[in-house]
Amino acid sequence: MPATASGGARPEEAAEAPSASTSASVCMGTRPEELTARLVAAGPAAGAGCVGAAGGGGGAEVEHERVLALREIKNQIIGNRTKKLLYLRLGAVPAVVAALASPGASPAALVQAAAAAGSFACGVDDGARAVLDAGAVGHLTRLLAHPDEKVVDASARALRMIYQSRLAPKFDVNIGKNMDFVLSLLNSENENVTELAATIISHSCESSAEQLSLCSAGVPQKLISLFGGSMNLRDACLDSITAIIRNNRETASRFASMDHGKVFRSVVGLIHDRSPRTRLLTCLCLIALGHACPCHFQDKQIKTKLIMVLLELIEEPGQVGDEAPLALTTLIKDSLELQKQALMTNAVEKLSSHLLANSLETRRAVTILLALSELCSKLEESRSQLMSVEVSTLILEALKHDWADIRVAACSCLKNISRSPKVLSGGRLSCDTVIAPLVQLLCDSSTSVQVAALGAICNIAVNLTPRKSVLLHSGAVSQLVHLSKSMDPTLRLKSVWALRNIMFLLSPRDKDFVVKELTISTLSSLICDSEHFVQEQTLALVHNLVDGYLESANYVIGEDGMVIDAISRQLNNASAPGVCIQGMFVLANIAAGNELNKEAVMRVLLPHRTDCAKPSFVVKFLQSKDKQLRVATLWCLLNLIYPKCEASSGRVVRLQSSGVIPQVKNMINDPCLDCKLRVRMVLEHCVDNADDCFT
Amino acid sequence: MFLSRIVRHDLDSIDSPSSMASSKKVVTREEWERKLRDVKIRKEDMNRLVMNFLVTEGFVDAADKFRIESGTQPEIDLATITERMEVKRAVQSGNVQEAIEKINDLNPTILDTNPQLYFHLQQQKLIELIRAGKINEALEFAQEELAPRGEENQTFLEEIEKTVALLVFEDVKNCPYGELLDVSQRLKTASEVNAAILTSQSHEKDPKLPSLLKMLLWTQNQLDEKAAYPRINDFTTAALEDPSI
Repeated sequence: MPATASGGARPEEAAEAPSASTSASVCMGTRPEELTARLVAAGPAAGAGCVGAAGGGGGAEVEHERVLALREIKNQIIGNRTKKLLYLRLGAVPAVVAALASPGASPAALVQAAAAAGSFACGVDDGARAVLDAGAVGHLTRLLAHPDEKVVDASARALRMIYQSRLAPKFDVNIGKNMDFVLSLLNSENENVTELAATIISHSCESSAEQLSLCSAGVPQKLISLFGGSMNLRDACLDSITAIIRNNRETASRFASMDHGKVFRSVVGLIHDRSPRTRLLTCLCLIALGHACPCHFQDKQIKTKLIMVLLELIEEPGQVGDEAPLALTTLIKDSLELQKQALMTNAVEKLSSHLLANSLETRRAVTILLALSELCSKLEESRSQLMSVEVSTLILEALKHDWADIRVAACSCLKNISRSPKVLSGGRLSCDTVIAPLVQLLCDSSTSVQVAALGAICNIAVNLTPRKSVLLHSGAVSQLVHLSKSMDPTLRLKSVWALRNIMFLLSPRDKDFVVKELTISTLSSLICDSEHFVQEQTLALVHNLVDGYLESANYVIGEDGMVIDAISRQLNNASAPGVCIQGMFVLANIAAGNELNKEAVMRVLLPHRTDCAKPSFVVKFLQSKDKQLRVATLWCLLNLIYPKCEASSGRVVRLQSSGVIPQVKNMINDPCLDCKLRVRMVLEHCVDNADDCFT
Repeated sequence: MFLSRIVRHDLDSIDSPSSMASSKKVVTREEWERKLRDVKIRKEDMNRLVMNFLVTEGFVDAADKFRIESGTQPEIDLATITERMEVKRAVQSGNVQEAIEKINDLNPTILDTNPQLYFHLQQQKLIELIRAGKINEALEFAQEELAPRGEENQTFLEEIEKTVALLVFEDVKNCPYGELLDVSQRLKTASEVNAAILTSQSHEKDPKLPSLLKMLLWTQNQLDEKAAYPRINDFTTAALEDPSI
């Protein structure tokens, strides 16, 4: 079998290159199977003091062969995912790591083995797993103390790769001697080692306890002192500082006050650094600081500068430009003030033109779309700006793109644009052009796309009132009903939410259509869903269903009372407050109907065969700390005893004897004004009805 | 009184025949040279600029000699420059495998974290095989090495197609994409390699000197709108050319 071209020993090369590797490669062959076999056969290193290695050929020669085999494997796998997977399957990793473990291994072998191990862990999850399973971390850590500087470099680099991988082992600084270890690494003269320390720190900031310990141990100060080192080291330290302060008010404010704020100001200065990567990392650090302790971050100037710098960074090639829009999204998230600021610096325009000028099939397109989506979340003007002909066309195109991430981002844009009342009244993003593709995405193979499409449809449904026929004729309802039965709770939640929005202010005929698609039995089972969020949305859906038209109450109390039974069950089961509130609103609406309806509600509130020991949930609700629940319950009671009539009086008596009215009397001085008003009205009607009794 | 004299002086300039043609301020060569003489520049700064240029471009012997003769310390270890230059030389002479091995000896994380560079090196390898007329080896290499790159990352597919297309044509030099066989392609790859190594060593990949010259050009262009003054039009001579009136 000829040596593969990738391996590399071609006759011409062997002649001109003086390196030993090429000539040896001719002897040993460069096929992966051969190499792996030779490495495994070479066994553990003979060691300097070993006498009489079995099978002749001194230890030195075997060691030399091992070095060459390791070097060849390393050169084949670096950068090459396919080769990594091949060598993984051949079982090369344990042999490589074994070379690290050998007590007598030469520095040359250790350097090559470390490089190979690090490379296996880079970018390939299976490789990282194999390297970890073989125990590489322990050996490489030990080798950080090796006398040969090259071995230390190689081990530090390899460990760095491992700790940067997705499967990196947990490293808790609060356990054992871990903190001392990190501190000793930080104090090293070797930049590869200090960079490793920074990487480990970034990785081990999962809990606030870890962040606090690092802060207390003086790590931020140490990291800042390393800013004077090389650019790469400074970047790594910036990243570590961000990890220490992220979402932690305590560490963030301690950092901001370090050295009377001088440190903070020097970090701010880095916003204008020559290196784009440093600028981006600085922005991320300041953004984290701003979120963790807003009080230290009042300066509007810095925020404006951040927006401007990030908008410029979008033009940078490579990873920096790809991630800058994401940083911008994080910065402006949920902040009306910052979104206004961004709008004033022409963010929408700049991002849109960049999007239009480049291919959709890039990570940058995804992050830009997400940034544009966030920019439109609160501001009407951003939405108008975004809906130019070119961008609307692009977004529609993106809905059908091959990449799931692009589809998700496009749906996210549409969701926020649809918050605008103007959007669906014409223009490119009209109901006809948007609804059909969105409904199609409800059947998408990716769950995240389905969820994102549901979000957009939810908002469109709200804003389409009263012209919902478009939605109803698009096949959306049957898709939504289908998703409401999904195994995934998020899909159930969002599809029910969309149905709820559709149901809002719908005509009786259309309500009928939706209920027929959904079926009463599905509705009942959704009311008793395993997730309380789904229960709540379903009850809100029913609330919208019975709102406005008397006959709609039949959906709830008709068909053997399946729905009202389900509601009753939930109200009696100490469910989440949101569920109870919606449930009471439904009952209140039904109680506004005729006698049959009122009696049906009474049966829920005061079941016939009560064991008197257990008080009605009504009393519990009236005592709730949640004012919405108290108000909803009071409305229900009000509707039960109004208008004044014989039946109403009867109900008053029953409510009186079950302790409900006495509880209402206790609420005369309820702190909530709305409640107070309803309490007064209930009591007035009780008196009204009582008067009747006495005549 | 003092103020009015100055104003009159300015008025004189404006009224003088030489500046009648435009409203720009005119600066004579004599004035300009006088002002320039007043500007102080430190010798050490100049030396550092030169050293930065030599080091970034990789002129290691010159850098060493300059270090000895001027006493200026190089910003990075000259030994690393030697290694970097060996890699660059290997690429420029078409020995891609040697270059890859040297890069991995220098810093094994570079090619693992620069997929585009790794791809371009493998592409260059294929080009060299085609150039040497080793069509069978080239085909095997394209299949075993370049195709997987395309599977791992779709953005490389177009480049792969162009390169593989070279295999189809008899007269390779004159086919479409024939420019891939040009020496300039080797230089492009070599330059990419150089930049990646410099970045991994935390060194800026561009020397400072070109930035200064760009600044000069830009500043002159800005000033052109406001004044007529002796310009530097030829960087190599830095000769002041009288303002055209």
